[in-house]
Amino acid sequence: MTLVEFPAIAFAAVVCWAVGSLLQIPAKNSKVSGSLSWLFLFAGTLVLVWFLASYWIALDRPPLRTLGETRLWYATLIPVVGFLVEYRYKIGWLKYYCMGLATVFLGINYMHPDVFEKALMPALQSPWFVPHVVVYLVGYVLLAASAVSGWHNVFLNFRGKRSTKGESMSHYLALLGFVLLTFGLIFGALWAKEAWGHYWTWDPKETWAFISWLAYLGYLHLVARKTDSRKLQWYLGLAFFVLLVCWFGVNYLPSAQNSVHTYSG
Amino acid sequence: MSGSSKTVKTGSAPAGFRDAALFTFVAILAGFGIELLTSGGGINVPGWPFNLVFLLLFGAVIFTVGLMFREHPVVSWLGGIPLGLSLIIGIALLSFIGGVLPQDKYPPDSLVAILRLNGMFSSWPFAMVILLFLFNLGLSLVWKTIPFRVANLQFMLFHGGFWLALSCGLLGSTQLERLVVPLYEGKESDVAYNRESETAIHLPFSIYLKDFQIDEYTPQFALYDPQHDQVIEPKSKLMPELRKGVKAEWDGLGSVTVLDYLVSALPGADGVPVPVEGKKGVPFAKVRIDENGKISEQWISSGGPQLKPLFVPMGNYFIVMADGAPKAFRSDVMLISKGGERKVQTLEVNKPVDFEGWKLYQMGYDEKAGRWSTLSLVEAVRDPWLPAVYLGFFMIMAGNVLYFWKGFKKMEEA
Ligand code: HEM
Repeated sequence: MTLVEFPAIAFAAVVCWAVGSLLQIPAKNSKVSGSLSWLFLFAGTLVLVWFLASYWIALDRPPLRTLGETRLWYATLIPVVGFLVEYRYKIGWLKYYCMGLATVFLGINYMHPDVFEKALMPALQSPWFVPHVVVYLVGYVLLAASAVSGWHNVFLNFRGKRSTKGESMSHYLALLGFVLLTFGLIFGALWAKEAWGHYWTWDPKETWAFISWLAYLGYLHLVARKTDSRKLQWYLGLAFFVLLVCWFGVNYLPSAQNSVHTYSG
Repeated sequence: MSGSSKTVKTGSAPAGFRDAALFTFVAILAGFGIELLTSGGGINVPGWPFNLVFLLLFGAVIFTVGLMFREHPVVSWLGGIPLGLSLIIGIALLSFIGGVLPQDKYPPDSLVAILRLNGMFSSWPFAMVILLFLFNLGLSLVWKTIPFRVANLQFMLFHGGFWLALSCGLLGSTQLERLVVPLYEGKESDVAYNRESETAIHLPFSIYLKDFQIDEYTPQFALYDPQHDQVIEPKSKLMPELRKGVKAEWDGLGSVTVLDYLVSALPGADGVPVPVEGKKGVPFAKVRIDENGKISEQWISSGGPQLKPLFVPMGNYFIVMADGAPKAFRSDVMLISKGGERKVQTLEVNKPVDFEGWKLYQMGYDEKAGRWSTLSLVEAVRDPWLPAVYLGFFMIMAGNVLYFWKGFKKMEEA
């Protein structure tokens, strides 16, 4: 499958999620609508998984090279985090945010379709490629979920309905996200050594990856200091913006003119 | 320091964040002060063997101070989280400047250059904050390591790894050598160039380039609009690859079908291309052009050093063949040590080769000549501190695995 089919696929996924979400309303009283709802929610994700797999085959390379392609993974994975959180913590609201975010990402891809290009420059043909990017993507997905959960907790606190369960959820999502960010950073460095001769050159992308890593390192140390967890929800909500700069913003900064990460376009 | 009256536990802070933030701020100011005085000269990290001497002395000071004055409130503040956090924020802010401003040449009398904002990662403010941070991190490491407790293993690995990677990476940077070695097919050379100083150096071995090769992706054909200097996307949005039988359609213009494709050929006596072996040939394709019913057949080609490209008109446009992007390039070399040892190797992107303490990388070639380049650029890298940095990396990762594990365990309890 190629980008020609993408609009239809994206539309199908969003419709599945919307129908599944609507079915959650009658699901409160009826088991059948509950099962049906989940069937639709999963179907939305499955459609995207199917697209990713066939797109990978059509491209003859992992679809992890352009920003648009990483957004595709993001749209596929982030609702899964929402579903897992519901399964594990019985917290239902996160999945709606997650599907909403995923819809935004699919929308961006619909408005700016990628150029379909098979070529993979030699520096990217490495066994490090997939682990480096996948680890980062999963880390971003978890930290996005943690930020959403953080904002939700901020909102709950405003209304005087503090949820400690919600706060520990944003904490664990951030913790796992940090672990993956660390692995992504080091995998990137090890790869850079193999591909470009040095593990660290303060390239803007590297610098920003380092800054976002420090942001979450700061979070963990605030936790270690037993900072009021209500304040930390703000921190988690805001820290994600640093990550967004690293992910999308770097290309637009003045420093990007001499970045080696030019493939991300 | 405010000398607050809170009870003092080991490792926790007698004074709060405000002192730590102030301290960090003063350190950064002092660093910028030095840059101002030296017109942005930056820090000269000591070279061998002084970098090692410095590291050992620094480590010894941390150990001594950490073990002898552990109970002293100032020392426990110096190794505490508030200072650590302030310094992390300091590093992040300086990195922010370095991540936004191009780290590039500026007019020497501009404010950016005088404060060395364009060389942030070798500037005094950055060095000051890093040094204090290593001191802070070092103290907390000493306290968590002595007496040894298995429960602290995760902390030791993660923080110790970070300490090692950061300190050895920065101190070792003076001994990092990255040299460009230009090689020509059929020639042996030991001359390498330093890119910054543009000086030539003789390597302790020489390299003979037997052959340089490039693999390319399959060429693509495209409809080129000369008026707007752009390529028109076909209906499928897919840039058509040249293969026998491939057909591309353009709305309202017509279609092109590939009847025959020769990977490597040269024009024969009658102008019809004849397949040839090896590097000399260029790709040719016979295409059938259907211009809304008007049918013609033509050869197209991307051309080569001695061959003009062949393209054919279709309406106001041209059907052109574009060379495939480079897929891989590699050099078959013989490495010859001064002692006479010989080793046949292939250098390829992402597959560096070790020889006599150097790592050799396939770096580039003459891009104008492309596939016909007889020049291969190899990079020779020596980084004696790499093992220490890598040990740090692996410690961080091991610590992280433990963290992951413990994090999950806690989650089970939650
Ligand atoms: C040989 C070296 C490297 C190569 C070939 C490489 C390649 C890539 C590719 C293909 C992506 C996904 C496309 C994108 O979103 O931009 C990526 C993402 C990223 N890389 Fe690297 N990288 C390398 C080294 C590094 C290093 C040393 C770091 C340092 C911290 C780093 C940090 C990141 C970050 C933060 C992302 C964003 C993750 C994402 O958006 O998918 N990379 N890299």
